[in-house]
Amino acid sequence: MIWKRQIPILIVAFIGALTLFGWFVEEPNIQAFVDDDATQWYDILASFAIILGAMNLMKMQIQKVARQKKGWPYSIVAIFGFLFAITAGFFIKGVDDSVAVWGAHVTTEGTLFKWIFDYMFTPLSATMFSLLAFFVASASYRAFRIRNFEASLLLVAGIIIMVGRVPIGSLISSWVIMYIIVLALGIGVNTWKKDKKITFGVVGVGIIIVTVAGMMTGWPLDKPAIFYLPIIQEWIYYYPNVAGTRAIMIGVGLGIFATSIRYILGIEKSYIGE
Amino acid sequence: MKALEDLILKIGKVDRRWIFLVLAIAVFIPIIKPIGMPIRATETTKVVFNTIENLPENSKVLVSIEYSPSTKPENHPMTISILRHLFRNNHKVFVTCLWPDGQFMAQDALKQVAEEEFGKVYGEDYVFLGFRPGNEAVVKGIVSNIRKLYTVDVYQTKIDEIPLMDGIKNFKDFAFLFSCSAGYPGTVEWVQYAADPTGVPMSSGVTSIQVNEVMPYVQSGQMKGVLAGMPGAAEYEALMGQKGFATSGMDAQSIAHLVIVLFIILGNAAFFIERKRSRKY
Repeated sequence: MIWKRQIPILIVAFIGALTLFGWFVEEPNIQAFVDDDATQWYDILASFAIILGAMNLMKMQIQKVARQKKGWPYSIVAIFGFLFAITAGFFIKGVDDSVAVWGAHVTTEGTLFKWIFDYMFTPLSATMFSLLAFFVASASYRAFRIRNFEASLLLVAGIIIMVGRVPIGSLISSWVIMYIIVLALGIGVNTWKKDKKITFGVVGVGIIIVTVAGMMTGWPLDKPAIFYLPIIQEWIYYYPNVAGTRAIMIGVGLGIFATSIRYILGIEKSYIGE
Repeated sequence: MKALEDLILKIGKVDRRWIFLVLAIAVFIPIIKPIGMPIRATETTKVVFNTIENLPENSKVLVSIEYSPSTKPENHPMTISILRHLFRNNHKVFVTCLWPDGQFMAQDALKQVAEEEFGKVYGEDYVFLGFRPGNEAVVKGIVSNIRKLYTVDVYQTKIDEIPLMDGIKNFKDFAFLFSCSAGYPGTVEWVQYAADPTGVPMSSGVTSIQVNEVMPYVQSGQMKGVLAGMPGAAEYEALMGQKGFATSGMDAQSIAHLVIVLFIILGNAAFFIERKRSRKY
């Protein structure tokens, strides 16, 4: 029991504490361990994990085919793909040593491995990612609804970012945005007061003010800057977005810290199956 | 009015395959016949450009490639433009990859820019160190001792036999880092484990979806600007005065975004009409 429980916990606690304090202690041996040795240990362990992962993948796929579970023909493709890549990586280069030695053959033109990457992996990968554009279009059409204030805020910010980030956004005059704001204001007043006269009054006055201001200033495309889409989207990126992201980052950081302390103190023992 | 409402409702219930078709057409037309919309460089892109422009000649610059073919349209034009800028200003370039696929992307970019466009000499003007597994451990390894991590380059040549590697021991020997990233491990790991602890300036080119994640580092000055997605790449091409794939892609992206916005507006109009009618009955 001691080898399965206490010793692993002790190793984790010791290595964890050493790595943590390595950042704060001016001791060359500890720093060398944290900076060089520990990272190389990680590399070695990660390499073994890849082998285990690959073996596990094969086991699962072979079992799926053997038991003819749902979608088993795809597993055959996965098995053949895996074996093909292994063959191209370790057994058949496709070129002489004068063209590429083992290792360099991975990225050398004319090798089997490079052929797999160029003509199988790249098109498949690009196709999968390209399909996202269509799903985004369909999903935003169905899901982006003005149901409440928060949803409206998200929708408006999303549209500003989408249009403001691309060149077409810089072609939309800030005066057009001002007219849209006046109309939106009219909708708001109408919902609040439910009086056509007041609504028309607000919209009419707004349009007159914007038109007179535009005629006086000569309708510059990007002035006033606060109504110019590229400027508004930059502001959204720089301030509300950064504020939200920082809050998330701080939360995640605190979470990582708390979990790390739990590991070092031996409270968290999921890695030994408890 | 009722006919218009009925039409909007009908559009609101349209099969999603029609949406796919409209979007496909909207993307294809500008690709086949580019409109040539003006590209306006944002501040973050200008900062990246100026930082590289102000590096002293023959500076040693580390370029790290962390993306795969799936995000090639966004990231690859950035890599191409950055390499052009670095070679144009006669800097020495060292290329590493935190992603295995990044090695292929880097090789493609180096072949196009270093070999074909500038005729640079391998081992004297640039070195391709390639991919090493280990994610942030690789970043830490480069920071402490790059020679321990990379004993050979991509072509299996010993590091000690490459003239450009003379005097390169760790990350502090570089004047600048550019990370072209599409996720983990990438820009964030470079900031946290390399640029910030050592004080070596860095910039990055990221996919649009990653901009939120890296913007706090840009605003705090831990990163010198950022190239944000394909628009960022197109802006850099405009600053370089050499149009490329990103510039031609921006027309398609502009129209696609506009079409999606129109769909959202129509979807909401249908939603409101439906709600109004359901209240009436």
